[in-house]
Amino acid sequence: MSVDVATHQVLPVAGPRATTALALRLVRTRWLGVGATVMSFLAAGLTGIVPVLMIGRIVDVVTGDGAAQDVTRAVVIALLAGLGTGLFTAASAVGLARVVAPSLAELREEVLDRVLHLEGERVEAAGTGDVLGRVSDDVRRLTEALDEAIPLLLWSLSAIVFTVGGLFSLDWRLGLAGLTTAPFYAWALRWYLPKSAPFYRAERRAEGERADALVTGVRGAATLRAVGAEQVAMQRIEQRSSAAVDITVGVFRLFTRFGSRMNWTECLGLIMVLGTGFVLVRSGNASVGEATAAALFFHRLFNPVGALLFVFDSVQASGAALARLAGVALMPGEADAPDERIGPALLRVRGVRHAYEAGREVLAPVDLDVAPGERVAIVGATGAGKTTLGAIVAGAVTPSAGSVRLGGLDVVSAPARLVRRHVALVSQEVHVFAGTVRDNLLLARPDADDDALRGALDAALATAWVRALPGALETQVGDLGHPLTAAQSQQLALARVHLLDPELVVLDEATAEAGSAGARGLELAAEQVTHGRAAIVIAHRLTQARSADRVLVMESGAVVEQGRHDDLVAAGGRYARLWAAWSDTA
Amino acid sequence: MSVDRPCAPIAEEANHPRTGLRLIGRGLRRHARRLSIGYALMVAWQMSETLVPVVIGLVVDQAVDGGGWDDLAWSLGVMVALFLVLANGYRFGSRFVVRSVELESHRLRLEISGHVLHPRGARTASLTGETLSLATSDARQAPQVMRQLGYALASLVAVVFVAVYVLRLDLVLGLLVMLGVPGVLVLIQVLAPMVARRTARQQARTATAAGLAADLLQGLRPLKGIGGEDVALRRYRAASQDASTATVGVAAASGLLAGLTAALSGVLLALVALVAGRRALAGDISLGELIAVVGLVQFMGEPLRGLGEVTAQFAASRASAGRIAAFLQTPRLTHVGPGSLDPRRVPVLELDGVDAPPVVRLDLRVEPGRLVVVSADDPAVLDVLVRLLGAEQVPDAGTVTLDGVELTTLTTEDRRRHVVVTEHHTEIFEGTLRTTVDPLGSHDDDALRPYLEASAADDVVALHPDGLDRAVRSGGASLSGGQRQRLALARALVTEASVLVLHDPTSAVDAVTEHAVAEQVHRVRAGRTTLVLTSNPAWLQQADEVVVVRDGVVAASGRHRDLLADARYLEEVMR
Repeated sequence: MSVDVATHQVLPVAGPRATTALALRLVRTRWLGVGATVMSFLAAGLTGIVPVLMIGRIVDVVTGDGAAQDVTRAVVIALLAGLGTGLFTAASAVGLARVVAPSLAELREEVLDRVLHLEGERVEAAGTGDVLGRVSDDVRRLTEALDEAIPLLLWSLSAIVFTVGGLFSLDWRLGLAGLTTAPFYAWALRWYLPKSAPFYRAERRAEGERADALVTGVRGAATLRAVGAEQVAMQRIEQRSSAAVDITVGVFRLFTRFGSRMNWTECLGLIMVLGTGFVLVRSGNASVGEATAAALFFHRLFNPVGALLFVFDSVQASGAALARLAGVALMPGEADAPDERIGPALLRVRGVRHAYEAGREVLAPVDLDVAPGERVAIVGATGAGKTTLGAIVAGAVTPSAGSVRLGGLDVVSAPARLVRRHVALVSQEVHVFAGTVRDNLLLARPDADDDALRGALDAALATAWVRALPGALETQVGDLGHPLTAAQSQQLALARVHLLDPELVVLDEATAEAGSAGARGLELAAEQVTHGRAAIVIAHRLTQARSADRVLVMESGAVVEQGRHDDLVAAGGRYARLWAAWSDTA
Repeated sequence: MSVDRPCAPIAEEANHPRTGLRLIGRGLRRHARRLSIGYALMVAWQMSETLVPVVIGLVVDQAVDGGGWDDLAWSLGVMVALFLVLANGYRFGSRFVVRSVELESHRLRLEISGHVLHPRGARTASLTGETLSLATSDARQAPQVMRQLGYALASLVAVVFVAVYVLRLDLVLGLLVMLGVPGVLVLIQVLAPMVARRTARQQARTATAAGLAADLLQGLRPLKGIGGEDVALRRYRAASQDASTATVGVAAASGLLAGLTAALSGVLLALVALVAGRRALAGDISLGELIAVVGLVQFMGEPLRGLGEVTAQFAASRASAGRIAAFLQTPRLTHVGPGSLDPRRVPVLELDGVDAPPVVRLDLRVEPGRLVVVSADDPAVLDVLVRLLGAEQVPDAGTVTLDGVELTTLTTEDRRRHVVVTEHHTEIFEGTLRTTVDPLGSHDDDALRPYLEASAADDVVALHPDGLDRAVRSGGASLSGGQRQRLALARALVTEASVLVLHDPTSAVDAVTEHAVAEQVHRVRAGRTTLVLTSNPAWLQQADEVVVVRDGVVAASGRHRDLLADARYLEEVMR
């Protein structure tokens, strides 16, 4: 059964200090690379301004009295500087990637590590959207930013710093003239950013909603046609797509207004620099060449300043993504658990109660013993608490009260990693993992050899169809792979259990999605896989109950009847009525 | 009270462009007016950008180098005028172009989803993911051609202007600029594919890693059920490291390319400065022209690079357009004809000697108002029946008829008015419980109640304080499998189709509830025909008639109670 979580308890987001600390920790082991990269950026910036100074020199030669060899000398210096810029540009790009790419990989791996080891309840509470958003969207946003925006940012910054330095090296008044534009750039940015951030958020949201509508329409096309509701889906797609278009066009309109402000600031800067040059040349404080170099310097600033301002929000967004990832990466990791086999052991459930939300108890105190190798079936109507009991026994849900022990193992408090070696849980939820059939099986036991895999497929009655797949064990399945039926997917899950070889298996309506024609095969597979182990089978087909060693009937969170199938039928209670209705033989 | 089920108007078959190029051509024609204004303004903008160094040269030459205040004033006035064109040309020109791109993208998206959601469906081999990527990334990429064309036009005009300007100034200088700048770019173009290949590989690996993470999270519960987290993590680590290595490789290649570009541009600038400086020294060209030439060489790389990139971008857009065009060419799923049926009568459904492997010469006659269950040993038989009754498949031999009219010769409206076929796996859509069970909004609460009760979906409604207005997330994520299935059944009942075909409608519903459901469905469907494809005892018991199909042929039929005498039947349904 499902649990509605009214308010989502999102995963933590790291503060600026913790985020910075994490970023530093990630690059700390690569400090040599960091140093070399910084030096390359500085050198590229420095060599970059030399040619402009040399052109100024040539202008001076042309306007004043100079000789041809002065031009040649300036050209040679410019040439060498150009070659140097090329060299250092390449070095800075390579160096940056060598520092950043492995650090990012380390971060995303840490995040997935934390997320995969989160308690199932924590994931539910956070909402899968939040978790998925961190692992996919935030990682992608950060990766893109680090691949493109960050190098661009660094190049622009060093170009700007050195070009402004170049302006000042000509004459401090020319430098000041150039700097007068800074407040205008800042003003344009301060006008733009607060407006654009919500706009971009709205755009992302609109695109998300559009994607949802498209997914609904495409995935549900058959269903929609069946009930004649395809126009409803079309209308929704139309509305959302057109809303997204409006927002995107609106965002772009804002962006062009910002661009226009930038253009006018550039114009103002050129006027200031040229005007100052004019005055300085008139008063004999600067040469025409210096004034020219100053104007060319300023013209040269257009691209890096533009780039800097335009990457600003992508950099900002990547900062937010980093903080969200850091929040997860800084969560405590799960301790390693000692590997011990406990062998056949008795399952003892004592006084287990549970409420997902305070005051709404879904499980009354339940006691249950399951002997090694015993097969217990639980039947009952929806909402009787079957799934909750199964999840608690499997250690996937922590009960509000009570104890669950499997031999010497305390299922409630032991680390999940340890519990999982002894108890497997197969839920109604079917998922075929993207990868080959082999990949899907090896999730349970990575060191399994081909014989073990064959044995597991045999037990799950999957050998025949797996062999018939285009690439047998190596066939790509899951998302975008070869499609498998619900029954086949569940057979893979059962084969995994066989490989895992746990002492106790909990099967939660593991045959439900298969449909009646496929259910029989699945039941047989489930019986084979659980053979010789303790098993709790949450059944909706009573044939599963009949073949069990013991049947538990649950109602409103309590066990109301239990015993062998034949005895319960003979007793004439609830189960007997159920069976009569089911079998129609009474 | 129920009202007539509104039937969606059947869209006219649109004449879709057959190739990517035609699709692009149609897009350009659709937005011709807006685009031509946009392009004109963008050309003006790029021209102005090009003229900035020329005007800087003008100001230095006329004012800074010994001119007066009035010279300064008029030359700076020219600068302001230039920026007026520059700033507004881009601002408004690009807006026209972007609007066209977005509108075209929107229209393509609607065409693609309209193709999938056509009342007759689309017979495509595309998986959901592929279709989605058509409607999102390809629909976005294909119209980018309009933007690329704008930049290409603007760049071309700017480059031609520079060529003419420099050539008129000095032949040697002109040839140096006209051969040197494109020469550098050609060299880069030769090397660029190497980087592009690596970039594509890197993007693919990054996407693989991201896809792997998303996939693992989607299967988190099953994964945790067997404690596969650590193995999964190891797999992700490998993919992530792969992506990281590829990223370093790309950075190395693109870094070298950027370095080479910088170095070669530096060399070219030095050479131009050498020639132009000597010419200016000799008095062949003016100081302003010297500055302009140097500035133009620095600037010209931009539009030329833009021109160079257009080829690759165009290829990408054309590929996207090609995929869209091919998809829109796929044929319709269901077969139709001009046939019609009396809308007021519940028709007789009859399958007569139907051959459609694995179904062999199947005869089945369903009288109006009956509940008939077909139980088959092979699930594939039921899948074929679903396709036949949905008019998605024409039998190799024999006929499927309603009141004697072949199903595949009916119009879509007529067929759907009479027959609703729901597959075993049905989707639940985002909305509320109300829109889930009554997507067309054709029933009020009182009219819905009997169907909710019959499908035991009233429990789901009662569970939540919002009742029928409870929000449902996409895919029914907040609902259990059994709840989803009961809602889907309610939705099927609400259609009030005269012939309703249900495929294993309660497989995820518990044993206690499904009996009640089968019984109630039987009652609520009184007077209408219901065909249930299942081997579930709850339904078998309720059936007016059970048809047992073995090896594709009808092996037995009759009441469940009577068939139980057959040991083989008993074994099959009770096993």
